[in-house]
Amino acid sequence: MNGAPLEAEGLTLRYGERTALRGVSFQTAPRELVALAGPNGSGKSSLLRAVMGLERLTEGRIAVRGKDARTLTLQERAREVAWMPQEEPVGEDLSVEEYVRYGRSPYLGGLLPQADPDPEATDRAVVALGLEDLRGRGIRELSGGERQRVRLARVLAQGTSLLLLDEPTSHLDIGHQLDMLGRVRDLARREGRSVIVAIHDLNLAARFADRVLVLSHGQLVAEGTPEEVLSPALLRQVWGVDAELRRDSRGRVPYLIPRLPDPTPSPHPGGRPRVHVVAGGGSGLELLRRLFDRGCDLTAGVLPLFDSDSDLAEELGVPSVLELPFAPLSSESRERLRQLMSSSEIVVVAAFPVGPTNVGNLEEVERVVGARRVLLVHQDRARPWDFTGGSAARLRAQIVEKGGEEVSDVDGVLAALSGRATRASSSIGGGRSDGPRGHVSGATG
Amino acid sequence: MRAAWGHPRSGALLLLLGLAAAVLLSPLIGPEPLPWKDVLSIMLHQAAGGALGSGSCLPAVPPAQCHVWTVIVWDARVPAVLLAAFVGASLGVSGASLQGVFRNPLADPYLLGLSSGAALGAAAAFALTVSPGSSLNPATRSLLLPVAAFAGGLVPGTVVLLASLSGRVGAGSLIMVGIALNALFSAIISAVLLYNQNITIQVTFWLWGGLSYATWTNDALVLSVLMVAGMLLALHGRPLNLLQLGEDVASSLGTDAPKVMRRVVLLTTILTAAAVAFVGIIGFVGLIAPHVVRRVVGVDYRRVLPLSMATGAGFLIISWDAAQIIIPTVVLPVGILTGFVGSAFFLYVLFRRWLPRGSGSSR
Repeated sequence: MNGAPLEAEGLTLRYGERTALRGVSFQTAPRELVALAGPNGSGKSSLLRAVMGLERLTEGRIAVRGKDARTLTLQERAREVAWMPQEEPVGEDLSVEEYVRYGRSPYLGGLLPQADPDPEATDRAVVALGLEDLRGRGIRELSGGERQRVRLARVLAQGTSLLLLDEPTSHLDIGHQLDMLGRVRDLARREGRSVIVAIHDLNLAARFADRVLVLSHGQLVAEGTPEEVLSPALLRQVWGVDAELRRDSRGRVPYLIPRLPDPTPSPHPGGRPRVHVVAGGGSGLELLRRLFDRGCDLTAGVLPLFDSDSDLAEELGVPSVLELPFAPLSSESRERLRQLMSSSEIVVVAAFPVGPTNVGNLEEVERVVGARRVLLVHQDRARPWDFTGGSAARLRAQIVEKGGEEVSDVDGVLAALSGRATRASSSIGGGRSDGPRGHVSGATG
Repeated sequence: MRAAWGHPRSGALLLLLGLAAAVLLSPLIGPEPLPWKDVLSIMLHQAAGGALGSGSCLPAVPPAQCHVWTVIVWDARVPAVLLAAFVGASLGVSGASLQGVFRNPLADPYLLGLSSGAALGAAAAFALTVSPGSSLNPATRSLLLPVAAFAGGLVPGTVVLLASLSGRVGAGSLIMVGIALNALFSAIISAVLLYNQNITIQVTFWLWGGLSYATWTNDALVLSVLMVAGMLLALHGRPLNLLQLGEDVASSLGTDAPKVMRRVVLLTTILTAAAVAFVGIIGFVGLIAPHVVRRVVGVDYRRVLPLSMATGAGFLIISWDAAQIIIPTVVLPVGILTGFVGSAFFLYVLFRRWLPRGSGSSR
């Protein structure tokens, strides 16, 4: 009984033309919760099925606790590895206890019954998942969350050192998702089992997993702790999604806030105007809100993180470039800012205080001013705003010189936009009820 | 658990008691009116091997009738009841295990084409024996029919088995293979009958199913197949339970789902072909017995399989009784009775679910 709970070496799985897995190698340790992430069709389920022995590997080798899986009979394998599929037929109307007891099948012999070597296992699984009160209930009467717990209990009763859970949280609400994964992690820790969970939600994966494996097109593209693995770059590469990486304030747990795909040029010329807002320090609050209400397709940045502007942008679901407060603009942020500005029609620069850390915003605006329409909200001379020793004021002047339009206030911005709308002979007052806008704020809010 | 009618154990007991009563009392029934006391005493005497009295009958039986009545009771009625029991048990357990393995409440041996395969075999046998130029001797003739029917019955099951061996063929596709074979064999039978109209009556009677030709030898043959194949099938309760969770989950729990499926198809094919070979096509038993059992004892196949045997046996015995009683002096083909009783009961079970305040479970 030695060896890792699972050693997978060069797992390759082909179905005719399609390759589901390409040379996937990894190991798991006892007490470890491994999250298996990847887009739809990346091979997560295939990998779990291959480890369970439900798929015949084209190449590669699987060892469970040091034993070559090929030498194990189906029944021996079922004593080492348990698998919970994403879906299974509800089947006949069994009681919870009868269903959980099915997990003991690998120990009960083939056609001729054998005595269960561990008759308490079913009870322990029922108790471990808090199902005592449901024992006698029919599994068809259970709610979705209860049913998932019962399914997990069945897998647990199997008494294996390795558990494979395929999307155990996919049909659960957020409360039950947390409950489910919390229980899974506790089981791994307390009972020394090794658990692999295929999961879509990266933030859940980061919160609960000791290690994350990322599959893309059947290949293992990243492996490590959530801190090591989760990055905007990985998300862009594997999922094609832009996201911000943040860290849970209570711990180091990273989490990702996805952004909508880059606004693409509207198929209808003169549709919703695409406006990028440069702001900070609360200068963008009224601007963002009113442009949003006018139905503009908004982006924002670079905004300082935890700033009231960035909070509002998030609330409204406005894709934004964010930067740590009081840190100079990173080259990555600048790159993002350029992308957002180049995909918008109009850039609005709010009247925000400019210091050495965020002056880069004006530098970037200055670079696009010829190619994009730029509106600058007038800075109130009574209030100091330039903390750069004059270079911010100089940049503003250069922007105006190159064609930037100064407007007195937010009303001026809207008036200038109306002019654009008139020119394009189309309404921009579609309001926020017209579809995508409302959806966005709902998704992120 | 989850039985619709009371506690599963008392329900099971009721089914078994009913079967025992049916076996013991059914020989009292027949087209010839015999006093029930005499029938019982003949049965008792013969069952004890003649050890109960010095004569060939017990003293209570009128000596003049002793020989004839003994022949009627012991060589006709009792073998027919026992054959009904064995055939019913075979069909019942076959239906239950096929419904389990295909996870389809409509599966039964006939759905897989077995009945029309056997019927084709029987038709071929009739065509050979009845045709004017036939030079078969009588012994061969009487053997030919069951052998041909048995062999014909094995064909569809074998094809389904081969299809399942060819790779990842799902349960649904296997049923479709069976249905296709069913249609094919029915078409061939029609063609055979078209060109051999002299055998139409025999084939039709055979298709209706009957127990009139029961002999102790036939009983012993059906029973021996039932003892082996039926008992093996009845051991598949746990694997069939697991299969209800899907083939993959069953495999992950150590049950080789494709293997179980093949084994069940093989065993039910042999079992049903052997039964059909001697009695013709008796419908609905394999379909209805498992449904009744599930309503009485719930869905656990460890109970459903053996009790479907008992229920199939009881159902066929009672149908046989009815076939002899309904029209005095006429014995109806028992397959017609099972069709009547079975379909009526089936419709009742189905519609009860849809009737307002129906007490049926969700199944």
